[in-house]
Amino acid sequence: MFLNRSEGLALALPAALFTFLVFLVPVGILLSVAFQNEDGALSLRGYLDFFAQPLNRAVFLRTLKLGVLVALTSAVIGYLAAFCIVNLPPASRGRIFGLVVLPLMISPVARTYAWIVILGRTGIVNDVVVGLGLSDTPLRLLFTETAVFIGLLQLFLPLMIISLVSSMENIPKDVVPAARVLGASWLQVFVRIILPLTKEGLVIGGTLVFTGALTAYITPAILGGSKVLMLETLLYQKVNVSNDFVSASVIAMILIVMCFSANLALKRVASVRR
Amino acid sequence: MTKSLAALTFSAALVATAAAAQETLTISVYSFAQDAYKEALYDPFEEICGCELVIETGNSVERMAKVEANAADPVIDLAVISAHDALSLAEKGLLQPIDPSRLSNFDKLYPAARDPLGDNMAVGYTFYASSIVYREDLIDIDSWADLLGDDLAGNVALPNITGTQGPLTLMMLDKAAGGDGSDFSGTITAVGEEADDIVTFYSRSSELAQLMNQEEVIAAPVGRFAWSRFKSSPLPFAWAEPAEGQAGGMNVMILTADNGNEELAYQLMDYWLSTEVQTRIAEALIDSPANAEVVVSDEVAENLTYGADLINSLNILAPDAIIANRNAWVEQWNAEVIR
Amino acid sequence: MSRLATWLILAATLTFLIGPFLIVIFAGLSAGEALAFPPQGLSLKWYAKVFTVESFRASFALSMFLAVFGTLAALLIGIPAAYALNRYDLPGAETIRTIVAAPIIVPGIIVGLALLRYFVVPLNVTITLALFVTHTALVLPYAVRVVSSSLNNLRADMEEAAVILGCTRLQAFTKVVLPNIRGGILAAFILGFVASFNEVPASLFLSGPGVRTLPIDMLSYMEITFDPSVAALSALLAFMSVAIVFLAERLLGFSRYV
Repeated sequence: MFLNRSEGLALALPAALFTFLVFLVPVGILLSVAFQNEDGALSLRGYLDFFAQPLNRAVFLRTLKLGVLVALTSAVIGYLAAFCIVNLPPASRGRIFGLVVLPLMISPVARTYAWIVILGRTGIVNDVVVGLGLSDTPLRLLFTETAVFIGLLQLFLPLMIISLVSSMENIPKDVVPAARVLGASWLQVFVRIILPLTKEGLVIGGTLVFTGALTAYITPAILGGSKVLMLETLLYQKVNVSNDFVSASVIAMILIVMCFSANLALKRVASVRR
Repeated sequence: MTKSLAALTFSAALVATAAAAQETLTISVYSFAQDAYKEALYDPFEEICGCELVIETGNSVERMAKVEANAADPVIDLAVISAHDALSLAEKGLLQPIDPSRLSNFDKLYPAARDPLGDNMAVGYTFYASSIVYREDLIDIDSWADLLGDDLAGNVALPNITGTQGPLTLMMLDKAAGGDGSDFSGTITAVGEEADDIVTFYSRSSELAQLMNQEEVIAAPVGRFAWSRFKSSPLPFAWAEPAEGQAGGMNVMILTADNGNEELAYQLMDYWLSTEVQTRIAEALIDSPANAEVVVSDEVAENLTYGADLINSLNILAPDAIIANRNAWVEQWNAEVIR
Repeated sequence: MSRLATWLILAATLTFLIGPFLIVIFAGLSAGEALAFPPQGLSLKWYAKVFTVESFRASFALSMFLAVFGTLAALLIGIPAAYALNRYDLPGAETIRTIVAAPIIVPGIIVGLALLRYFVVPLNVTITLALFVTHTALVLPYAVRVVSSSLNNLRADMEEAAVILGCTRLQAFTKVVLPNIRGGILAAFILGFVASFNEVPASLFLSGPGVRTLPIDMLSYMEITFDPSVAALSALLAFMSVAIVFLAERLLGFSRYV
């Protein structure tokens, strides 16, 4: 540890000043817009007006709902997959883990685009459905909440699996078999052993997935369209169609508060564990 | 390796900047049929003026919002947008009047296109009809009311209210329901009741062409300018002639105020209105001419909004009526249709 | 759990995660005119078409420029910051850390809008500069974090020894510290490059006539084109990202640092 503080500050300040000036200041001004009325006085009118509109409330609730649903579903799949991965022999474990990480390197535009090919009326899912005679006509899958849900789940599931795998690696190898031998059911094993020991990974993964789903733009834009608006696509419309910067500022604040609270919850749980 | 890669990318960026030093004209246009425009208009113009065209694309209302956001320092010199979006910009003082004496082709225009907004704020460059495009192998369309009928449930798209085609569709739905096409509140409620059966509300005609080629949708209202995308498709698309008639409108050219690039902007505007270019664009089946001297074959005319008789038969919404009511429509639409 | 169940679960999960992407690759190989799977005949024509679309070339160049120089700029200010936060007892270290990490928490779409409204417009800067600044700020937190973690693994007394042996502080840094954290810096570069190259939400509002990053350009191209070329482009980009990461892993053991 070096003690020359001014030298240290000189090294650290460019980065801090840069982020502060070109990042935090503009974002701060944007957020302050909704706290002013037309004369510039402090006011909550922007927020009241925003939530007075049924469409805005519906979009807010839908965003929250899909965020929670995607986080929960990814937790269920994530536990199953992570448990399987951790119990693989070391050689194949690395390879499978690599395949889970792989999608994160691929452009989200490309990953979302794939679902158009799959969920469209002439897509594979409908080929199967019609081919098996489950339905006479192709189903409508695009531009539904289901499509957005599937797209988001695929986008963010890897984050959940990664966090769960890394926290499960810390569970001693023979604990689960021992519990099974002693007569514990799988449910008991999960609730009594796995869940408490992986709480941290679950919270980290859950936060990443939840905030990711809240702030994804491409997925709701491509798979939801103008009928299944989420906060991000609504914000885009407010800005690019109606030049309504007060509403945009309100949405920005809502998103930041949601992400920030999720992060805060994460920190709290993580520090309790330490 | 990193160093040489860095040097390479940096020099590429420098070359790009050097190329940009050439005189440029920035225009804002609709996003459909850009390939055809490039051939019929952009490339020949760049050759004539020795300048570079920088092109922004999007639908009318989004590009209007951008012009407004950049009013202090205009990015766009010349834009083509819908008549009512142009009027809205003009009322905010963001446009400059067009001097007809600087346009050699001005007198060749149909009278209705010469000064559609008053004060020479805009010049019409194309008329279009709006009707319903549909899959003739799957469905018949006789009336605008068919859009909300049971046969199309789950297979129809409508234009979003914020775009140009949205209000036109509402007007025709109102007429089909026996109204006079001026009060949309009942129609919006009717659309809201059927909202679950509407696949999506599209905001760009290029987007709709995609949806219909993908077979997500088998019928939707659209402007005639987008027809070429349907006509060239392997799928059997047809253009409806509903009992209530077709809707229609005019798209216009505008100059942003104080853009400092008027010389080139007038040059492009005049070239775009010339008989030569208007004919080329018409023959590509994109924009129907506003230049009355354009003559096209019957076969081409069939696919356009061509000739005084057809233009006069269209159901038109006055630009000032759209501006006056748009906010109320959007509010009701958001409450009852999108939800 | 039985082996069969294990492999079934993994197969299903991986199919969900990667399967769609394989479909895109094959859809791009179609010989037909419309996007479809299975493809109607095989052909490379859509992969070839990607290289003829003019706007893709311009936006690819821009995205490359941003990914390379945005990340380099982030490292340029991020390495000293990471070093200072690790080696000095700084007043307000926690504040500095929070400020630098802020871009991770703020949703990208808000960043783009804020910079457009309160940076580009009032200061009259170009969209390209705004994109550069944004991408630098977004990559900076990763740069600081990854470099910090590799500094953590390097004992501070090595530098102290170098200073005692007659090096100046700067020499001690360039001769002792820098060579030892090279791997971490490269890892940060690759991470930043991939993040910047694939970035969408913040770049959404930061686009002007003729200035668009590649992902944004793809989004608008997708909307107007129903041929398989977008599938082909998606596949090409994915190969590029995966190849970069794969090479880095092979050459450097990249994953140790992330």
